[in-house]
This record gives sequence, C-alpha cells and structure tokens, in this order.
Amino acid sequence: MNYRAGTVPLLAIIAVAIAAYAVLFASSYDLRVLTVSGIYVILVLGYQFIFGHAGALSLAQGAFFGMGAYVTGILGSQLGWQFTATFPLSILVPALLAATIALPVLRLESHYFALATLALDQGLLLIAINWEAVTGGANGLPGVPGIVIFDFAVPRGLALLAFVWALAAGAAALAWWVMHGLYGLSFTVMRETPLAAGALGIDRAALRFVAFVLSAAYGGAAGALFVHTIRVISPEVLGFAIMVTVLTMTVAGGRTQIVGAIIGAVLLIHLPEWFRGLEQYYLVAVGVALLLVILFAPDGAAAYLGRRTVKSQNNPQPNITPPDLCPARTSGLKITGLVKNYGGVRALAGVDLNVAPGEIVGLIGPNGSGKTTLANLLTGLDRPDSGCIILRDKDITGLPAHRIARLGIGRTFQTPQLAPSLHLVDAVAAAHAGDGDVDLATARADARAILAGLGLTTRADQLCRNQPHGVRRSVDLAAALARRPSVIVLDEPAAGLTQDEATTLAAVLRTYAANGAAVLVIDHDMTFLLPLAQRLVCLDAGHVIAQGVPDEVVGEPAVIAAYFGAAVTTP
Amino acid sequence: MFAAQLALNALALGAAYALVAIGFVLVLNATTAVNFGHGDTVVAGGFLAVALATLMPGELAVPGLVLLPAILALMALFGALMSWLVYLPIRDRPPVTTFITTIAFGIIIANGVNALFGGAPRSAPTLIGGGGFSAGELFLSRQSVAIVGVSAVLIAGLALLLNRTQLGRQLRACAQDPEMAQAVGIHLTRMTVITFALAAALAGAAGLLLANQFFVTPSDGGVLMLKAYIAVTIGGWGSLRGAVAGALLIAAFEVAVASQISQPVAEGLLYVTLFIVLFFRPQGLFGEPVGQRA
Repeated sequence: MNYRAGTVPLLAIIAVAIAAYAVLFASSYDLRVLTVSGIYVILVLGYQFIFGHAGALSLAQGAFFGMGAYVTGILGSQLGWQFTATFPLSILVPALLAATIALPVLRLESHYFALATLALDQGLLLIAINWEAVTGGANGLPGVPGIVIFDFAVPRGLALLAFVWALAAGAAALAWWVMHGLYGLSFTVMRETPLAAGALGIDRAALRFVAFVLSAAYGGAAGALFVHTIRVISPEVLGFAIMVTVLTMTVAGGRTQIVGAIIGAVLLIHLPEWFRGLEQYYLVAVGVALLLVILFAPDGAAAYLGRRTVKSQNNPQPNITPPDLCPARTSGLKITGLVKNYGGVRALAGVDLNVAPGEIVGLIGPNGSGKTTLANLLTGLDRPDSGCIILRDKDITGLPAHRIARLGIGRTFQTPQLAPSLHLVDAVAAAHAGDGDVDLATARADARAILAGLGLTTRADQLCRNQPHGVRRSVDLAAALARRPSVIVLDEPAAGLTQDEATTLAAVLRTYAANGAAVLVIDHDMTFLLPLAQRLVCLDAGHVIAQGVPDEVVGEPAVIAAYFGAAVTTP
Repeated sequence: MFAAQLALNALALGAAYALVAIGFVLVLNATTAVNFGHGDTVVAGGFLAVALATLMPGELAVPGLVLLPAILALMALFGALMSWLVYLPIRDRPPVTTFITTIAFGIIIANGVNALFGGAPRSAPTLIGGGGFSAGELFLSRQSVAIVGVSAVLIAGLALLLNRTQLGRQLRACAQDPEMAQAVGIHLTRMTVITFALAAALAGAAGLLLANQFFVTPSDGGVLMLKAYIAVTIGGWGSLRGAVAGALLIAAFEVAVASQISQPVAEGLLYVTLFIVLFFRPQGLFGEPVGQRA
C-alpha cells in the first residue's frame, strides 16, 4: 500500500540488524532464542489475519500452534516421518480443523466467538493430556527429529536460524501479497464498518473464513517448527500461556503490520532474557505488558513507526475529470406485499412500491413509519417476513447484503458508514473490492474522479475520521456511486447538509437518474425532496397511505394527518 | 442410594458454580463486557483461603467458615482494584478492549499464584469439618451440605441486596440503562466499582467452597470461566436466575458423566455441547436482545 511505503526500508534495516547480530555476536543460546523469535513471527503473522485484519478476537491461535506441533511431534517421533511430509501436514490439519469449525464458530460475534475458540483450545488440551496412547499424555513424547530435507539435515545454530527466518520471510511475503491490494482494503472496511461492507458488495463471511483458515495454517507451521527446535512434544504447546503471549505480541507490535509482527515477537521472546531476575514471574510480566500496552498504546509499536513515513504522500493530481456516472445496467425495482415484524411491532404491513429506471421516487413518512426498515430489507440488512423484492426480473428477497449489492442495489446510510482509519480515496476505492477484476490503482483513480465530481479533490488524501458531517455524507454517496448501481437507495441524504451541499447532491442524483438509474430517496426535508422527486410515496405505521405527484401527496388529508395528527383532517 | 449421593455431590458443585456464574453475570450486565479474568478471580479466592488457613497460629485447624468473612472482604477489595485497572480506564473503547484487559489481568493472577504457591493442586480447610451424617444407607458429607448452605445464604443475601435495598435498585438501574441512571443522579462509576467488588467477593467465596473437595490449581481459571460462560449461555444471557439454573445443570451433567465414564470425557462433552448450542442458537439458548440501527 503506498500509504505504508516507508516500511520497506525499515524491514530491510531490521533484517540486516538481526543478521549482523546473529552472525557476529550471538552465542549458541542467543541463536536458539532468536530462532524461537522467528517461529513466533510466523505465529503472530497468522494471528494478524483473524485478530488484526478480520478484527475477531480468536483465542484458538495457541490451539492451531499446538495442533501443528502435535502432528509433527507424533509423526516424527513415533513413525519417523521427515520434515518434507510432516510440515505440509502440520499446516493442513489445523487449516482443515479451522475450516470445519468455521461453520458454527465464525457466525458468532465478539465474546461468543472468543469463548467458542477458547473452548476449542481447552478441548484439544483435554485430548492431548488424556489420549495417552497417541499423545504421550501429560509427559508428552521425546525424540522429535530435527529438520531433514531430502537427506540434508539442517544443523542447529546458525543454519536452523537462517532456515526459520527464511520461512518467516516467506510467510511475511505471502501475508503482504494477500493484503496489499483491494482485498486488504475490504478487510479494513469489514472490520471498521460491517454495515457498509455489505452495502459495498463485500462478503464478510468469506473474508472471515479466509482469515481464520490462514491463521490456522500459519499457526500449524509455527508449531511444527517449534517442536523441531525443542525436539520434544508436550501439552505445554497447547497452554493458554502461548495464546496470551501471541495476543500480547500482536497488540504490542501492531495488529496488521508485518513490521509489527517482527517487533512484537522479537521483543517479547527476549523480554525474559533481558530481565533475568523475572524467572517464574515471566508470564506475570507478559500480562502486565499486555495491560500497559492496551491502556497506553493500543495501536502498538508499528503505528508509531508508520506515522512518520506517511507525510509525503499528499500529491493529488490536479485537473481530474469527473466521470460521467452511468449505472452499470438499468433496471427498475418492484416491491410487493412486503411485511416485517419486530417482536410485536409491525414495522411494515404489506408495502407495494415500484421505482422505474430513470425515476426519482421520494419516500416520506413520520418517524417510526417504516422507512429505514424498508431500506434495510431492500439492501439485505434484514430479511422480510413475507413479500417479495424483484430486481431486473430476479427475486432478490432475503439474499445477504453483499449479494444484493453485487446485483446492483446501492445505498447510503442515515449515519454515514465510513472506516475511520481509511483515507477518503480508499474508502471509495473499497467499493470495487467485491468485483475481483479491478486492481487497486484503477479503483483509486476512479475514486479520485468521483470525489472530484463531488468537490472533494483536496480532501481525497485525508482520513475519514477527521471529516465534517457533510463531507462524510458525500463520501458515503461516492462509495455507493462507485459501484454504478442500477438502483440506489438513499436514507436521509440531505439531513445536516448545508444549502450548497444539498444543491450539489440533488444535481448528482438528477444526472444519475437521467442516465438510467432508479433512485429511491428517503427524507423529511420537503424543500429538498419536492423539487427533486418525480413521485412521492408516504408511509405511515407500515402502510403506504398515499402516492403520486409530490405537490398533491403533501396536500392529501391522510398525509397531513400522519404528520400532524388526526385533528387536522378536513371533514 | 448411589444416585442420591451423586445428586448431593452435583448440588454442592452446582452451588459453587452458581456463585461463579452470578459474579460473571453481574459484571456482564454492568459493563456489557465479558470478564475473561473471572475464572482466575475464583482461583485467587481459593488460594487466599489456602494462604489464610496456613497463616493461622500453630496447628489450630480453623474451619473454613471462619475464613469466609475475611475472604469476602479481601476479594471485594480485589474486585474494586480490578475495576480500576481493567475496566474504568477503557470503558469508552470497543468491548474487545475489555476482553483483552481482563485476559491480561487473568494471566497476571494465574501466574502470580503459580509463582507464589507452585503449580500443584492445593486444598483449603473444610467449611465445618469433615465426615458426615448417615441416614440409613445414605451418607451425607458434611462438607457438601455446608457448601450448599453457604451458597444458598450468599445467593439469598445478594437477592435481598439487589431487590430490597436502595443500593440494589441503583445497581440494577445502572445495569439496565447506564445513561438514564446517570441522568437521575446515580454515580455510575461507584456502581461499577461496587459491581466488580460483589462479583469478586462471590467468586472468592466460590474459590473457598471448591478448594476443599475439588482442590484448586493456578491454571483452573480458564475452565472455570468457560463453565460460568456455558451456564450463562444455557440459562439466558444476563439473567441471574438463569445463571443459577445453568450452573446446577452443568454440575449435574458433569457429575453424572464423570461417575459413568470419566472427568475428562465429562468436560469434553461440555465443550461439544457448547458448540452444538452455538451452532443452532448463535445468540445463546434464550437469546440476547440485539438491535442495530443503520
């Protein structure tokens, strides 16, 4: 990512420093400690996928590590299998386990996910201790062979160190390759604004699955290397201590940065070496370190290193021509008999609504009349109890949000959903993440052009978290438009906008509709809506109570009654 | 008769688990965050009992019941300290931050205890002495009866505190709607600290109750926390009554399976059950009110 370009020289410096230390100064004991650090780098890189990129607190990273360790330990010590056979298996088995338990576990949120993964770890520990015939029980198994590749035995010391760190470098390169483009961007959006992810066609479940399986594969690889280094296998590899150590390394180093994984792992493994007096209090010190870091520097060390390298990136290209935004395909929207209940509350009681290509329909109604519910059902954030939604002759009722988005419905939110840590250009570029055939540079160029059309050229390289409300709304709209949806649903787009901003917005929507899109605007602001909408639909208590030409609808007794109360109704 | 014996064992174990689960729910309701260090707090209580018993002069065997008030008081202080360290500074951050701070606190407790006492299982004194009463063929262990009695008194005391006192009303108000509670002048921070203190005191008592019959090991925290969590998931997220019911259910399951097969199998099946429950009911058995507004 070009916003982090500064880390490449940093990585080179770290590599040279470690190599120089290893070759020139390190004793054989130091080399061993450094080797273990390299193993933990791989483990942490894996954990960054699920905890850092996907943002899910998994407590199973130690379990995957232990599993990889046991596969190599058992096959190597009992059956005499070699590295070339055991290493791939040590990666594959945890990855398969992760893929299997992903079905019940990955749907879970927050603490449910954390505790289910903790239960996995405890369950494996139970098996390791009690299945003595295979695992050697609490004492484990001795005699795990060293690394032998086609009759070449990697000797301990410098050679093993180099081998482990070469694998760590490979693991880092793979992690970079997976995360460097639009794909990595979609993780940021999914993690920071799950709602927006669906609306932009990003498949959250698929991303979480990939991250979980990758974390398991990395964990297994690290576990295998670990038993090759210490040459015995025991239940300690499944202990919670390893999990907490990895968590601490990731939080302290940085949750998503490769350089963070290296800093965290090397620091924490060397902590007891530098503080010899700690001895049995080492894990207490790890706990204290974790607590201090999360309280005072929750973004980890890498964030401080990255900060200085960001600056010189602000060079927006002048004179960008805004694109003539056209929907990818034109298509109308047809809703019939839509019903949604929340407990005993009937939010929508059989709503029929059509929006034709090229048409701007305004949806009005008092608070609680079901407008946002309708938008949520249309875009797949919620499933209707009955009724159907037809888009271009296809029934899309009840499809997940990302599928609906990919079929061509875009939306903006009542509260703009923007990933705070992204630059404006990337927040909009992420809209192309679900497409697969667009690269990051193309997506960014398109994003800059769309932002330019909304008058945001100068802000394109600023962070979303620092933007005023009107800008946030525009960026939310830009991201929706970047997908060229054939139908666009806007939830109170003019709320909180200045007069100028509202005028720009109306002009953009008019052009977009004229190019063939079906536009549904939910709003209260009649000065905005009346001149914009060709047709007005009024909802009250889940029913459509009026629709037609805007000026006539707002004059209808039922509409006035809905807004001002029944007493105003003319006899 | 064997079945009745098992039932009493299960009731004793369940009573202790109930105290653990109640503490877990109290903090959960007050902070909407899971306390991952709760199991380690129970361990701390158990080892506090071990330590206090050895501090007593000479060979004077002190019944555990005498230690209970001291354990409740010291663990309440411990809980208050915990809230200052792991929750109050980060309460405005995402819940996952609390998970991590409580994990960190748990690992400090577990390994601190391990460094001080060693990793071997230890046992605290019985509550009111060993032995038991025989009624026909039925043998009632004095310790089991005492565990059930002490738990019942503590739970009843908590129920009285929450339902019949002004402090209890304030605590419940903060758990249900912190903003509204603050608006009517309740000191939210104070209530949070008190909740952590109550939860830790109950956890400490559970540690004392468990530490004789079932021993206590520094590394027990994770398993205890998982059991409290499973109890709460079964009993209904956030419900105190449900937590007690869930704890009794888990203990019954554990004692029954352990008597027929083995303890590891009982524990393993418990985790499998958790996965099955989560598979069919990802929001827990009785659901958690989840609302999201775009």
